[in-house]
Amino acid sequence: MADLTGMESLQKALAQTNSTHRLSSAVDNVDKIIELLTAAREQVAGALDPHTTSLTITKLQNPTKSAFDAVHETMQKVSTAHRKLGKALDKHFPLKPLPSDHDAMADHSALINRAIAMHLLREGQFSVASTFIEEAQDDTAHDNPYRRTQPEGTPSVDIDEPMDEDDAEASPSVAGTSPSDGQDLSSLQSQELQTRFSEMYSILQELKARNLVPAIEWARSNSTELETRGSNLEFELSKLQYVWLFKGPAINGLPDDENNGRAGALAYARKHFGRFQGRHLREIDRLAGAMAFASNIPASPYRDDFAIDGAFSEVASSFTREFCSLLGLSAESPLYIAATAGALALPQLVKFITKTRTKGTEWTTANELAFETPLPARMMYHSIFVCPVLKGQTTESNPPMMIPCGHVLANETLQNLVKGTRFKCPYCPLEGQIRDARQIIL
Amino acid sequence: MADLEASKINHDTHLLLDQPLLRLPYELLRKNFRSARFVTEKDAEFVKNKLAETAKGSLDGKSQPEDVVKNLDAMIARMRGLKRKLSTYADEETKLYRQVDARVAHLRELSDMHTVEDVKYETWSRRRLDRLMVDYLLRHGYNASAAALAEERGMQDLSDIDAFVAMSRIRTSLENGSVTEALGWCNENKKGLREMHSNLEFMLRCQQFIELVRADSPSKLNDAIAHARKFFPPFKDTYPTEVAQMAGLLAYRPDTEVEPYAEWYSADRWMRLAGIFVEAHNKLLGLPSFPLLHIALSSGLSALKTPACHGSQPTSSSRPGHSTSLTTSVCPICSTELNELARNVPYAQHSKSHVENDLLLLPNNRVYGKARLEEYANKAGLPSNQVKDLVTGEVYPRDKLKKVYIT
Repeated sequence: MADLTGMESLQKALAQTNSTHRLSSAVDNVDKIIELLTAAREQVAGALDPHTTSLTITKLQNPTKSAFDAVHETMQKVSTAHRKLGKALDKHFPLKPLPSDHDAMADHSALINRAIAMHLLREGQFSVASTFIEEAQDDTAHDNPYRRTQPEGTPSVDIDEPMDEDDAEASPSVAGTSPSDGQDLSSLQSQELQTRFSEMYSILQELKARNLVPAIEWARSNSTELETRGSNLEFELSKLQYVWLFKGPAINGLPDDENNGRAGALAYARKHFGRFQGRHLREIDRLAGAMAFASNIPASPYRDDFAIDGAFSEVASSFTREFCSLLGLSAESPLYIAATAGALALPQLVKFITKTRTKGTEWTTANELAFETPLPARMMYHSIFVCPVLKGQTTESNPPMMIPCGHVLANETLQNLVKGTRFKCPYCPLEGQIRDARQIIL
Repeated sequence: MADLEASKINHDTHLLLDQPLLRLPYELLRKNFRSARFVTEKDAEFVKNKLAETAKGSLDGKSQPEDVVKNLDAMIARMRGLKRKLSTYADEETKLYRQVDARVAHLRELSDMHTVEDVKYETWSRRRLDRLMVDYLLRHGYNASAAALAEERGMQDLSDIDAFVAMSRIRTSLENGSVTEALGWCNENKKGLREMHSNLEFMLRCQQFIELVRADSPSKLNDAIAHARKFFPPFKDTYPTEVAQMAGLLAYRPDTEVEPYAEWYSADRWMRLAGIFVEAHNKLLGLPSFPLLHIALSSGLSALKTPACHGSQPTSSSRPGHSTSLTTSVCPICSTELNELARNVPYAQHSKSHVENDLLLLPNNRVYGKARLEEYANKAGLPSNQVKDLVTGEVYPRDKLKKVYIT
């Protein structure tokens, strides 16, 4: 068996030491004292004579003492239990340093707030989002910079406010950059974004309930944009609708009438498939051809077209993707991707910081990270070209150049190779003219 | 393949961001226990003494049975009070233990996952993001939002709402010019604050003094001097300059422009006190000084960022506005939500090229993978000897394409 992870060991350790020594036992101990005292009080008050009184009080001494000792003992055991927990934590989940010297995000609460608000909206958390937008705007209205862990520029157009120069230089234009938290968020509130996302959610809800109609309607009304994007969403949805109807009332649970079953599917195809003939003729032929095998689809060559188990979730995710793209947004929440990538890359960052702490190197000031942070391929969104000679990535100021033999080099590398106007490819025997190299866009 | 390596979950280092999740309830358990022990010892002491005293009086014949009853009543009342207080602490302890269990169980779930491609990992990681967001919201005092999110996601046991709400109450009271709550907190955490050499209590005592002097009336000035005599001596070795300045303050009116006195009189000091308090609070409970989400983002934005993300032209691996349905996912850094935020962080370092297979160069200098070009041409219904640029939409004959070799 593989080694236990820290958390598995910790859980085990907790289960073992999970003692019953809790403060609630001390409450019981105190209850005993109250009983003792109350009983004594009844006796004294009942008799009201000096002899009984002193006898009762004397007899009360020892039991109360041991009751208080019990309280003390319980407290000690409770404390030991806590200490054991602390030791288990130290052993199985030892503290590792987190980057704490410098907060690169400190001055960007407004942007983070906006990212969170958009994340909540795209996750369909509309009520949380509106609570948040309200609270964050309120905060901005009170204009209280110390609300943040570190002061940041006030949202007003206050010229006296010290501005981060780099910041101002680097982001000269983009609307909604810095001036106001409030503005950004209110634009989210009033904007149609919220309406759009709730439209998306209601359509997804219907898809989940296997009702394709609202999604098809949406795709149809956006067919031009979708086509430009090269998306087949509308056809995919219509095709699924055909298959869905074809399956008949026993499976789709729709009313058993002329709009359902094979007849319904055929009628649907006649009515709607015409518009797809140009692009999807072959598929339409297949769908129609399946009619001949209706009685025994699973054994027919068409079985794959009619296996719909994953189809609904597939169209749901392509619907989400297309819907978000038309809004200019990615289908997956960028905040989610960034936080996940952050957790994956953090160990490298911590390693680097720990190593360079003494040198006082600032990891956030350079253009390029000083260490590699490997991410899964799924999280690489752009092509990366690393010049094999320079061993560095190409950038806008040092772009990739293709030379006539088809090899690619960074521009700087190429310039270094040139003798006069000619150069020799480092990878093949080709010699070329510098003017024949072309800058390419990856 | 290198990618398998990058997708692997390293259980030793994957939970860096999650350390406070377990440390905080543990620290709170200790703190809760210390308070419980304190009240217990105080009340026990009282009752023990009272009982001894009563016994003595009764044996000496000095006290009447009625006095004894009265004393017993006082003791009973005291013990009932203790029981009530202890019950509250016991409830808090139960809650904290429950949180520890829930959190360990949540973190342990990760042990069953070995790669980030595991479908369960996405669910887990989304929950982590929810936690990071709740932490962020609480630290900014957006308590209602935090509570709403925690409730919506059913993760109350994974969030530290109570602790942060208590903190923001004290912070707000400081922002509104009251030191009482903060002093109470200092008193509860005396030992810890002393161990970490916090100047919070001294700063609060100074502020009290400043407010008395600010009132500028003879009786208040006397109060100020009495206050200084009572509270400043323990600090005079640690903060000699400040203590001297407090004395000097008596000579300056609140509207003075002479430094450092103007600074001491400044209304901004309340905000600064709130800041000092938050810092001491976080340090005492072992919380990072800024939201965990900030840490996750600064590391994540850089890891994802490429030189192309803020470039002036759309690359062939594309951005939202230019994407086609073949760009399966749009780069999160190029997306509206994060683009501006990522502007000033460094981009990731790569030592290997990462490109599509079988690259082809179009006459417009754009490069795409063969498979993508073919699929797009197919979807666009082009004849088989033509391709279409995925970004610009230009159509070219296939024989104009050139192979590109990435070494």
